[in-house]
Amino acid sequence: MNVAYFPGCSLHSMSKEYDMSTRLVCKHLNINLQEIEDWNCCGATAAHSVDHSLAVGLSARNLSIAEDMKMDKVMAVCAGCFSRLKTASHEIRNNPHMKAEVEQMLQSPAPVKPEVEHLLQLLVEETGLEAIAQQVVKPLRGLRVAAYYGCLITRPQKVVQFDDPEQPVSLDNLLKALGAETVTWGHKAECCGGGYAASDTDIVLDLGGQVLKSAKKAGADAIVVACPMCQGNLDMRQKAMGLDFRMPIIYFTQLMGLAFGYKPGQLGINKLFNSPTALLKSKGLVKE
Amino acid sequence: MNATTSPVNQYFKALQLDEQSNSLSQEILQNCGVEIERCLECGKCSGGCSNTHIFDYTPRKIVQLIKVGNEDRLLQMDALWCCVACQLCVDRCPSGIDIPRIIDYLRERAIDRGIVPTRPNVKLFHELMLDQVQKIGRVSELYLILNYNLKSKQYLNNAELGPQMFFKGKLNPIPARVKRMDKVKRLFRPKPGQKGVAE
Repeated sequence: MNVAYFPGCSLHSMSKEYDMSTRLVCKHLNINLQEIEDWNCCGATAAHSVDHSLAVGLSARNLSIAEDMKMDKVMAVCAGCFSRLKTASHEIRNNPHMKAEVEQMLQSPAPVKPEVEHLLQLLVEETGLEAIAQQVVKPLRGLRVAAYYGCLITRPQKVVQFDDPEQPVSLDNLLKALGAETVTWGHKAECCGGGYAASDTDIVLDLGGQVLKSAKKAGADAIVVACPMCQGNLDMRQKAMGLDFRMPIIYFTQLMGLAFGYKPGQLGINKLFNSPTALLKSKGLVKE
Repeated sequence: MNATTSPVNQYFKALQLDEQSNSLSQEILQNCGVEIERCLECGKCSGGCSNTHIFDYTPRKIVQLIKVGNEDRLLQMDALWCCVACQLCVDRCPSGIDIPRIIDYLRERAIDRGIVPTRPNVKLFHELMLDQVQKIGRVSELYLILNYNLKSKQYLNNAELGPQMFFKGKLNPIPARVKRMDKVKRLFRPKPGQKGVAE
């Protein structure tokens, strides 16, 4: 399967491990990722906060390049990038005024063809959980995790049309296919505070703190995420939140890689702030 | 508004059209494609809202203020600057009212009018991020944070995270640039007083 890949800015710096593990897992599953050539930032969350046309335009340029590359599918792994690309695609397809504005900005026809999907959706709906389960050589037995979706992978439903907006199950099912156990908890689709990490940190400490406490209370050993913003907010700020959990916040692609038999170093496990190594070791999932 | 109304009741009961009311709901229909009049006043939006505990006006009240056309209050409210755009309200609304889109629209309008935001740093961060996108087409987290700390005079903001991020290879000192910057610059509106966008 050929897929246009939009890594986004975070995957090139703060969240390299998400990029590393995404590429490895996709390659393993015969998903051929072709990075969108000369892509630009999706603008999240600044652009849509202050200039709607700019927000749509930035993503439209990326979709347009993917269309030029003859790709039917655009895949993002950052929930913020995914949401911006998906929203732009929805606007172009459903709002004739916006479509005209985009064509003026791009000075080319608006990209209507490429379908935008988050990697989670692609894996669950196209690769399929059975095919994924077949690749598992090291089942994540004994690992008790909280599957965290955050806001934008499943919302707004009208635009995203994937899973349930508030009670999603796709990531839980994927993790179960890898052999892990997922906890029942109340914050799987609540907000971590998102883009306020720098500009109004108290919001992140408040909302992210609630997510962490909820996962802990549900008995999770770690939280599994599918967004670099969620990962950063939950992983790097536990101390500032006044929590001494040291709870690992792991990308789902990293756990897939481990279950497929890759080494922690190949998956950037060492780049996480709260190291999951002791936890993984206690379950016999890593050696040293 | 009636001067004798108690503070608790004023938002819920005394909202009514007055001489300052305008056609805001019509404008929102045109610009955001959202039909405010379909609001059932059920309050599910506020029940779902992630940040309602710090909002000065809950989503339900925001819709009410639009209905009565109280633009002044809407453009000055703190909710514009602390909504996390988590999309819970829109998915809970039985009438499909897209409140995050409305909040974006109102924020854009407040900026156009030059209204001072209740949280200036939030606006500053947006501006600095977009400046970077306009210059190099991408965001360098390292330089964005450094620039933001400098401009907001919070020199040690997040500094405690710096060393660990550096040693884990999470900070990229050489930011990547988009090659076809002419195509990115074309997406930006000229700022007031600024000449046309470079070709």
